[in-house]
Amino acid sequence: MTSAVRRLLLLFVCAAALCASANPAGAKFAAPPAPTRWVTDDAGFISSSMRATLDAELQAYEQRTGHQVIVYIGSTTGDVPLEDYTVNAFAAWKVGRKNLSDGLVLFIFAKDHAVRIEVGYGLEPVVTDAASAEIIRNVIIPSIRAGDNDAAVQNGVAKLLETIDGSPAPEAGGANAGNSGGENPQENELPSIGSLIIIGIALLGFIILFIRSPGFALWLLFSLFSGGRGGGSSSGGFSGGGGGGFSGGGGMSGGGGASGSW
Amino acid sequence: MANKSLLGCGALVVIIALFVGIGAVSTYNNLVTLDQATQAQWAQVESVYQRRADLIPNLVATVKGVANFEKSTYVAVAEARSKVGQVTAGGTQAIPNDPKAFAQFQQAQDGLTSALSRLLVTVERYPDLKANQNFLDLQSQLEGTENRIAVERMRFNEAAQAFNTTRQSFPTVIFANFFGSRFAEKVYFTSQPGAENAPKVTF
Repeated sequence: MTSAVRRLLLLFVCAAALCASANPAGAKFAAPPAPTRWVTDDAGFISSSMRATLDAELQAYEQRTGHQVIVYIGSTTGDVPLEDYTVNAFAAWKVGRKNLSDGLVLFIFAKDHAVRIEVGYGLEPVVTDAASAEIIRNVIIPSIRAGDNDAAVQNGVAKLLETIDGSPAPEAGGANAGNSGGENPQENELPSIGSLIIIGIALLGFIILFIRSPGFALWLLFSLFSGGRGGGSSSGGFSGGGGGGFSGGGGMSGGGGASGSW
Repeated sequence: MANKSLLGCGALVVIIALFVGIGAVSTYNNLVTLDQATQAQWAQVESVYQRRADLIPNLVATVKGVANFEKSTYVAVAEARSKVGQVTAGGTQAIPNDPKAFAQFQQAQDGLTSALSRLLVTVERYPDLKANQNFLDLQSQLEGTENRIAVERMRFNEAAQAFNTTRQSFPTVIFANFFGSRFAEKVYFTSQPGAENAPKVTF
């Protein structure tokens, strides 16, 4: 009898080890590494002094209002459609505060001749598609066409901040952060009455099974137990770049904003 | 001696039952979490589709006001929208669990997508309309909404896949089948041939 108990304990240890190791992670589109500054220019699109000025301005803006507004200038999105690229990059960088999703990214792709304003969920009512399209159409593109990239980005950012400031900053809890689908941290709730009933049923069923065919019962126990975990999404805090650099706050976008090209 | 081994046997059964209970609860809770994530994402999909439907009366009114605008195009949009209304009239909560209702829903929405894109192509022939501020705003809202639809559909498919993968994995599949339709497999959005191009209008 005791050796059987020992063997059983071993089985439990094995099952527990199996549970701990199984943790599938879903991989999808590989977003570019998260920017460490508020203004990133990988394409040499604007002058370095303008980059530094805007960077300081947007850093101060975040400190003052909490909104994360960043500029990302790359050369091309490659084979990825512009809108797919920006929404995935936004989600990967977690721009904007968690639950408020009050971030915004101005994307420019120099080689693609493409501009996109990607708006976080929480800012959608403020920076509407129409407003974003107008900024791209009337502020950013005319300056780029005239050859003044610095002015295009500077005035575009100024207009965006003006649009955001036109409405009071969202307070925690008051925003319609609609990012419920993506991340659902798994909470360890106490078993409800429903699950207690299930325990009871499982218990009774198992006892009967154990008496009738112990081998199958043990196998079932092992497989049920080892399959109980996995699939939970990891929603750990994000931190990128030390030393006062930009780091995403946990926000998300849902494809709001506008695109344009010159 | 016999008493003692009986006692040991009883204790063993209790321990095993406890572990089974824990396994069952955690499997169940995991399925509930994933199911809720899918439902929440479905609500997002519905809300962006609703957003598009809400834009249409305004769009139709705007193009109607333009002299000689091809009537058939906006009539088709209005018809496609009412078809969507018929499909969603009976409530849409259960659609992700029902392949037939899901197919109807997607067909109606895709019908509206293509009617809209035909209308926006027609607009190209009306320079007055393209210079109209009200129309430009509507157009950017429509484009933004089509993009939102694409994003939320993609996220729905991801959530549904996460649920289905867990639900279909062994041994969870045995457990989930006990509950019948409570943990029914989710249906995915599929891209319609040629419909992946949202109405795109360059300025």
